[in-house]
Amino acid sequence: MSRAVPTVLVVDDDPAVLKALARLLRSIDLNVATFASPQAFLEQVEPGMHGCLVLDVAMPCLNGLELQQELVARDIGLPIIFLTGNGDIPTSVQAMKQGAVDFLTKPVDDHDLIEAIHAAIEKDYMIRRARAELAEIREKLATLTLREREVLGHVVAGRLNKQIAADLGIVEKTIKVHRAHLMAKLKVRSVAELVHLVERADILPMTPDRRRL
Amino acid sequence: MSWMTVLWSMPASASLTFALLHLLVWAKGIQTRANLSFALAALAATALTGMELMSMRATSTEQMAIILRWAHLPLLVLWVAILYFVRFYFDAGRTWLAWSAAGLRVLALILSFTTGQNLFFNEITGLKHIVFFGGETISIPQGTLNPWYVVGPLSALALAAFVLDAAFTMRRGGTATGRRRAILFSGSITFFLLTSVGHGVLVNAGLINSPYIIGLSFMPILLAMSYELSCDMLHAAQLAQQLQASEAELRINKQRMDLAASAAELRLWEWDIILDEVWSTDKGHLLFGIAESQKISFVSFLNILHDEDREQVKLAVEKSMAGNGDYESEYRIKMPDGQTRWFYSRGRIEFSKDNQPQRMLGVTIDITRRIQAELAEQQQRKELTHLSRVTTLGELSGSLAHELSQPLTAILCNAQAAQNFLARDKVDLSQIQDILKDIIAEDKRAADIMHRIRLLLKKCEIEQLPVDVNKVVLDVLKLVSSDLVSRNITVQVDLDQKLPAVIGDRVQLQQALLNLIMNACEAMTHTQANNRQLFVCTELAGVGNAQVSVGDLGPGIPPENLASIFEPFFTTKLPGMGLGLSICRTIISAHGGQLWASNNTGSGAIFYFTLPIFPGESA
Repeated sequence: MSRAVPTVLVVDDDPAVLKALARLLRSIDLNVATFASPQAFLEQVEPGMHGCLVLDVAMPCLNGLELQQELVARDIGLPIIFLTGNGDIPTSVQAMKQGAVDFLTKPVDDHDLIEAIHAAIEKDYMIRRARAELAEIREKLATLTLREREVLGHVVAGRLNKQIAADLGIVEKTIKVHRAHLMAKLKVRSVAELVHLVERADILPMTPDRRRL
Repeated sequence: MSWMTVLWSMPASASLTFALLHLLVWAKGIQTRANLSFALAALAATALTGMELMSMRATSTEQMAIILRWAHLPLLVLWVAILYFVRFYFDAGRTWLAWSAAGLRVLALILSFTTGQNLFFNEITGLKHIVFFGGETISIPQGTLNPWYVVGPLSALALAAFVLDAAFTMRRGGTATGRRRAILFSGSITFFLLTSVGHGVLVNAGLINSPYIIGLSFMPILLAMSYELSCDMLHAAQLAQQLQASEAELRINKQRMDLAASAAELRLWEWDIILDEVWSTDKGHLLFGIAESQKISFVSFLNILHDEDREQVKLAVEKSMAGNGDYESEYRIKMPDGQTRWFYSRGRIEFSKDNQPQRMLGVTIDITRRIQAELAEQQQRKELTHLSRVTTLGELSGSLAHELSQPLTAILCNAQAAQNFLARDKVDLSQIQDILKDIIAEDKRAADIMHRIRLLLKKCEIEQLPVDVNKVVLDVLKLVSSDLVSRNITVQVDLDQKLPAVIGDRVQLQQALLNLIMNACEAMTHTQANNRQLFVCTELAGVGNAQVSVGDLGPGIPPENLASIFEPFFTTKLPGMGLGLSICRTIISAHGGQLWASNNTGSGAIFYFTLPIFPGESA
């Protein structure tokens, strides 16, 4: 996965603050997009955008926290850095609970802000990469036949070929063929690698116990 | 002396006495016309009586002729005097009758000198001597009658007609006294005319042998007059008695008034503007610390006033003289014991008919205790206002911090960006310039916010300057703007752009409006978020008042609380002190305005306040 240029999306209803923030971020060669209101931002935001969001808490009509909820609802996982004029604790706690990266008090020091932005961009990158991997694994798993999936479950559960054959009521040789096929499809060379991949995908293949349920 | 002489002298002297008496009254200027005419009539009667006496004693026909000729002169005077008296004293009688009576009499006088020996006789041929009782001998003229003789009785008839007509008119209208006088005078005058003239005619015609009795027949008139005169005197005596009684009553009233005035520490005074002399109740001297024997003039009054008040009192007096005469002022006087006392004075000028101020009457009260209490209260109020302002600011501090953090953020970001740009190899100077410009602008914005906060915190005296109400509204809205945002409240502002300035203290008015707006915001805490609307409106209300209203869409005020919300320490807010609205009312009242509240027909409450417009602008 290539690492595309991230954009810092800044939302603040105060035009002077918005302009100054954008100017500061551009001075350290960050890609910046500014929005004068939460509504303007919601109209232009797309799921494919990457980077991070710098958000003022106190804005008319839709405040920062409400915008955050709206983004969660729309499944837009951009990391958010909140800026606030008066850093009251309940608001910051709620923001962090909803997954904010940081909660900074105005006037904000450039080091703190840039550090937070870098952390947020990194987090965004990580999230995106994890998501991409997951998608890849799921894609591979989708190529398996039903019998191969069954066998995969048993293998990951640590059972021997002989035991699997007995469970499924087929000969051990057939199990070996399925096993070779599925390892080839999933592009793994060892059982350990196979277990790791399944864990990462966070999917539990059909296990004998589950099937019984 | 013969008894005839005595008999004729009596009416003559009586008439003369009356004449002199009335001349004297006339000269003193009381009821002038009536007295003069009576005096003339009585003089004429005296002259006639004298002439009668002379005719009785006449020794030759020539002498008799001359006496009879000249007798028409006093007769004319008598006629005119009677006409004049009736016409002007009783204000009755037809003018044309008066003129004909007078005219005929004048004609008689002229004829008496131009025809015959006199109006009675063409020629007196002889004197007839008659012997009366007691051997008294008198002369009576005898001769041929003058044909013009008839003019005399005619003029008498005309006069009688005039008098009777006047008497009739007076009987119809008028009071009981007026009617009595009418009967008395018209009766006596008619009697006099008929007797004197009728008798004279008979004597001249030689039908009866008797002396003329014109003077004697005037006596009833004199009696009637003396009767009226004594009635008048009686009446005057009664009046004098009444006057004495009312003077006594007046004295008691004055004592009562003095008592009341001194009990109330009240001073009643009267200033004779023309003589420039001030009279006052005893307490007045005491109040002013002036020795009782000393006279008070306007200037000496001004001199005892406090230096700062002198001009103001002088202006108030001048204003009342030029205006409707009402005077009102408050001033200080430094008492002999060194302390300064406050007085309230109120008076009214009486003007003469040509609108010249004559005198001023008024009262003065010592109001020192009231003023001292007021000053103490004012001080307390000022402290409370300040306290409330600080409290409000405390409540606002969160949003003020936010407000101030905005420009500071912008400044910091701009400065750090500039630092970063300057660290580059190629420096874009125009960009740096832009940044510096923004920094300056934001710095000013921060300073502006600081200024507003400082003004609210400052504990200062009430200013009296023209204030633009719309600007006050906008300033306060700016101050609370971030608070409104965080409370999700939208503002609807409706300002009358033509609203004239009011007179007062900008900061205090800001304070009052701030309190009202904060209250409105508090009221909408439980209102649905998309329905939180604040209305602020300025408009011209009635004559010379600016009105500001602050409305909300909260639950409104329970009707039972509408009256008490302005009382100090009344609160429904848990953290509130209950001073906000009471201080608002104090501020607005101090500006001469009114503050009240009402519930909206839909939902929410509206607070209104009015402020008097700066006099220079209302015209």
